[in-house]
Amino acid sequence: MNDDAQQKKGLTRRNFLKSAGGVAAVAGMAAGGLAAGVREGSAAAGSMPKKWDGTYDVVIIGSGFAGLAAAMEAKNAGASAVVIEKMAVHGGNSIINGGDFCAPGTRLQKEAGVQDSPDLMYNDMMKAGLYLNHPELARTLADQAKDALEWCENYVGAKFTRLNFHGGHSVKRANQTVNASGSELVNKMLAKTRALGVAVQTRTKMERMIADKDGRIVGIEVKTGYRFPDEKSGKTAYIKARKAVILTSGGFSNDVPLRRIEDPRLTEKFESTNQPGATGEALLAACLAGAMDVQMDWIQLGPWTSPDEKGFGNVPLFCERLVGYGPMIDPAKGKRFFKETGNRKERADAIILLGHPVIIMGDSYAVPKQVFPRALEKGLESGAVKKFDSLEALAKNYAMPVEAFKQEIARWNSFVEKKKDSDFDCMIFPDARPTVTPPFYAARLWPKVHHTMGGLVIDTNAQVFGFDLKPLKGLYAAGEVTGGVHGAVRLGGVAMADCVVFGRIAGKNAAKETAWG
Amino acid sequence: MTGKHNIMRLPAAWFIVLGLVFAALLIYVGTPMAAPKQVKSAKPGDCAACHGQEKVFSPSHVDTKAMTYKDCLGCHEKAGPQKLEGKLPGSHIHQLGGITCVKCHESGQKEEEVAMDKCVVCHNADKLAEKTAKVKPENPHTSPHYGTTLDCNLCHHQHKKSENFCAQCHKYDFVVP
Ligand SMILES: Cc1cc2nc3c(=O)[nH]c(=O)nc-3n(C[C@H](O)[C@H](O)[C@H](O)COP(=O)(O)OP(=O)(O)OC[C@H]3O[C@@H](n4cnc5c(N)ncnc54)[C@H](O)[C@@H]3O)c2cc1C
Repeated sequence: MNDDAQQKKGLTRRNFLKSAGGVAAVAGMAAGGLAAGVREGSAAAGSMPKKWDGTYDVVIIGSGFAGLAAAMEAKNAGASAVVIEKMAVHGGNSIINGGDFCAPGTRLQKEAGVQDSPDLMYNDMMKAGLYLNHPELARTLADQAKDALEWCENYVGAKFTRLNFHGGHSVKRANQTVNASGSELVNKMLAKTRALGVAVQTRTKMERMIADKDGRIVGIEVKTGYRFPDEKSGKTAYIKARKAVILTSGGFSNDVPLRRIEDPRLTEKFESTNQPGATGEALLAACLAGAMDVQMDWIQLGPWTSPDEKGFGNVPLFCERLVGYGPMIDPAKGKRFFKETGNRKERADAIILLGHPVIIMGDSYAVPKQVFPRALEKGLESGAVKKFDSLEALAKNYAMPVEAFKQEIARWNSFVEKKKDSDFDCMIFPDARPTVTPPFYAARLWPKVHHTMGGLVIDTNAQVFGFDLKPLKGLYAAGEVTGGVHGAVRLGGVAMADCVVFGRIAGKNAAKETAWG
Repeated sequence: MTGKHNIMRLPAAWFIVLGLVFAALLIYVGTPMAAPKQVKSAKPGDCAACHGQEKVFSPSHVDTKAMTYKDCLGCHEKAGPQKLEGKLPGSHIHQLGGITCVKCHESGQKEEEVAMDKCVVCHNADKLAEKTAKVKPENPHTSPHYGTTLDCNLCHHQHKKSENFCAQCHKYDFVVP
């Protein structure tokens, strides 16, 4: 087969994979079929371009936390580097994120008198992950998270000013950025990356990984001037990676055909909190070049999103600050139904099982104290968060049985007094008080697709592994595109740590590779 | 119903369908009739120079041939209900205001993309953000994500209908000029 023909074949196959029509066929392929992809991946080895349009030691795909961390470390280790990004803007999911960075033993924890350790964080991750986490990856993350956070503060210059709690953790360990957004970190990372002399090229989409005859990854095929989501836009170009390619292309929560293959319940009926470009074609391109995927069907739904606003919105910031301070209620019965501080999966599953939206609420002691003022103000403005003068008015608005609801609040309050929930074992914080002070605030909750735990197989060096269970030379990966770190459940605030820890590792190791040409 | 009726009806229905498709296309493209000619030397108020016979105005509209943007403002006050922003493609407002093709596209080719650096020479991003600080539900010219650095071109198109970039993830019903 000549070069062109092989290239075309690769393309056709990818398009086929992506098209909704290919879903059933691909699902059928899943058992033994992926092996065909591997064969084709190695076949693609022959399809080297005649000419490279750009050459760098390290080529990084994706401009979120993981990609930019990798770029800085690669550059600082002496490698030339470039970051490509398919969207018109940089930052991916990282720039729309809530800015919570989990790490044990941090300055903010010490100030708040919180006792924590890497072991405790590791245990929390493993427990939530149903022990499906690749232990050595979880261990690396827990051990290096604090150092990664300090690098973000001291080297990158991002500010973290508040300590938060997330369901499933045994202590408060989420260090939040000053503006409660990942933009604080990612924009400073971008500025630093550029200051180091690394170009970040937007509207450049990776289409294919290029391997040599031994299967080593040597570069990528891209489309420059790409205009998401127009697949006909852009011009083909080839970028040579003398040392390595680092894949940091994020998750696939917004890729309906792919997520339906992995979890058939997740049809287009489920909205997502992610940016529109959170799709899986880059991950699949790596698989076609021989990279192995793992735990792809563990897809996380956020239990704290609202059906009354678009995307992530403001309600998650309202809900997550209130768990452990206020109750979550099933409006059909006017009663609590699940542990508010449970992990994401448990809570989302419990809500989906009820089959209708539920309510999170707090009073005028808890809400002003806990909820970021801007999130509250914006939530109230859009109507996703509502304010009520009395419990009766609240009950009436959600068509709840009033008496049952009031009894339930009294019961909850008695648990808060005792700091022990004998119904669902919700963690009740030391500074929590009974829900009695009007006005009361409430929001409706219905899950949205939030995070894809599965992805490429890596080791603790962020080296990608192939279907032959051996390192796939020349390919590193970090961040949400990888799998195994979180197992079944990614705990809140752990993605930032994941991206920065493994992004840095990937960048350093990629720079150490021996150049192939 | 007779067969004859059916035969008669089918084409009629087809006309309606075709008409609707065509109308939808027109709305989508934002330029009625065939694409205008884009004559670089045309006076900005001389609609016919590019649009030919195509009726771009109601018959009662005054002759615009010799007009500049300032003259338009006599009736179409900037913030008023008759304002042209959002109604007339941005390129036309630019032209009328003396910002001719070559002032943005150096080669005079429409295909040559105009980078944001050019826009901010006249439209300072920070000042714009101050000006729109009170727009509800959010200031469209700054955000927690990108500050004031977001590329103008993501929303404000000059030769096609502008779009609301924020609406990808947010329920903001901005009218984008
Ligand atoms: C709304 C929201 C809030 C969150 N809040 C938190 C939080 O508070 N704490 C926490 O720890 N985690 C949070 N998360 C999760 C976390 O933000 C993400 O897991 C993390 O940002 C992923 O970073 P990344 O670098 O792996 O990928 P991303 O930041 O998503 O970057 C990947 C980039 O690669 C690009 N790309 C994809 N395919 C291609 C291709 N073919 N060619 C070129 N480029 C490509 C994408 O467009 C994207 O820009 C949140 C997620 C969301 C959606």
